[in-house]
Amino acid sequence: MSLTNEAGHKTNGTPTSKPLSTGQQILNKGAQMLQSFKPINQMTQHACTFALYNHDMSRQIETHHFITRLNQDFLQSAVYDTDDTNGRLIGIEYIVSDAIFETLPPEEQKLWHSHAYEIKSGLWVHPRMPEMIAMPELKNLAKTYGKFWCTWQTDRGDKVPLGMPSLMMPPQSEGAGVVKPEVVRKRDEEYKVSKEDSMKSRIEIPEPEWINPTADYWRQHNKCFEVDVESTEINVRTEYS
Amino acid sequence: MEPVHASVLPDVPGEKTKISTSIVDTASSTIQTFAPTKKIHQHLCVFHFYADDMTRQVEAHHYCCHLNNEMRQCLIYDRSEPDARLIGLEYIVTEELFLTLPDTEKPLWHSHEYEVKSGVLFLPGVPGAVERQELDQLAKTYGKAIHFWQVDKGDELPLGLPQVMMSLTRDGQLYPNLARDMESRYGVTFEKERENRAYMEGLAHGVHPKANAAGIGLKTVLREIECKPSGLPSLEPVPRALT
Repeated sequence: MSLTNEAGHKTNGTPTSKPLSTGQQILNKGAQMLQSFKPINQMTQHACTFALYNHDMSRQIETHHFITRLNQDFLQSAVYDTDDTNGRLIGIEYIVSDAIFETLPPEEQKLWHSHAYEIKSGLWVHPRMPEMIAMPELKNLAKTYGKFWCTWQTDRGDKVPLGMPSLMMPPQSEGAGVVKPEVVRKRDEEYKVSKEDSMKSRIEIPEPEWINPTADYWRQHNKCFEVDVESTEINVRTEYS
Repeated sequence: MEPVHASVLPDVPGEKTKISTSIVDTASSTIQTFAPTKKIHQHLCVFHFYADDMTRQVEAHHYCCHLNNEMRQCLIYDRSEPDARLIGLEYIVTEELFLTLPDTEKPLWHSHEYEVKSGVLFLPGVPGAVERQELDQLAKTYGKAIHFWQVDKGDELPLGLPQVMMSLTRDGQLYPNLARDMESRYGVTFEKERENRAYMEGLAHGVHPKANAAGIGLKTVLREIECKPSGLPSLEPVPRALT
């Protein structure tokens, strides 16, 4: 069972902050009733899976994706560290079909990862969705590629998002890509799923005929990526229209 | 070249959603729960520019929720329509929380005082009196905004590295055509809002000198490094070789 602190945060010990005042809650409710949230209303899927920091693959986190489909070949997701109301927004993942992925230049492809293993292994689940109903979507996803930036390293206890975004990798079958069994077990117990059962039910999902070797860059090249920031000359507006 | 609004850019490449796919989407949207995103209660419109290029200005639709009294988190879209592209995110903290950040972190954050007091930041659909209560608080916050999709460049897909974004800090920075376009679409007048907000106090300690990239440009770069091994042996029976 996950730990929960006084503020209801599922936590690894991150200090709590001041809860929302009643006045702020009333203000929030009022504004919420008056505004529209069309882009947010387009989120149709919740997926739970695992991700590893590319710059340190021993750090492995459970992730919750709230996904919007823009067309048959493209999905965009907001990623949180839990799926409850205290979920912290930890990043964004984009998902494209293999057809779209092949149109990307190699320099871009290096930043993306394949999903076949994550789906077939049963690590990626749609909480509360029966496998049979999710199956058409799982078949689609098995052939996709993703690009996932994490902006808040809550797993190391950061109280606020610090530093530059991290490139995230999905689980893989061997080496540094293997997710620790206790991390998977914790998730499976909480959501009453079984990675092994899901894997069996997904045997019928066809594997991609080919996974582009430029994706999952670390596997073929044994090199990883991190993002840094440098100071530079800023281009400014020099005239008023 | 003056920036154009995102709505004139082409659609995201890809085929139209198949009916069989949208049936699954409908099922999941009904059966599953969306607690973190159902909490989103506020839509803010504002402009960001790239931390290394002030001439590249982007309309940024923030959809925000409070995590607690000190912090909000926002998803950023390029428009307020159902087909909006998710282009980035922003975290917003109180001045008090900002001041606890390490000095190396502060330059990545931007102040909101000018955007609020100039009238450029607004909450579509919220009447002025209610809006100003919220804005009075926002004027005292700092934000950290990262974009992943450079729609202003015409990118049809989210290419490249994450971009640190900054906010307007003085008159003369915002392109008039972008301002007029926003005003006409939302029926607001920034000048009038500026007058209405003249009473707002903003930051108690003024804009911190290290905020807003301390006045210099910031550029993200990709570094290729040695992978850190996990030290774990392979535990998985591979169903078939996937390499």
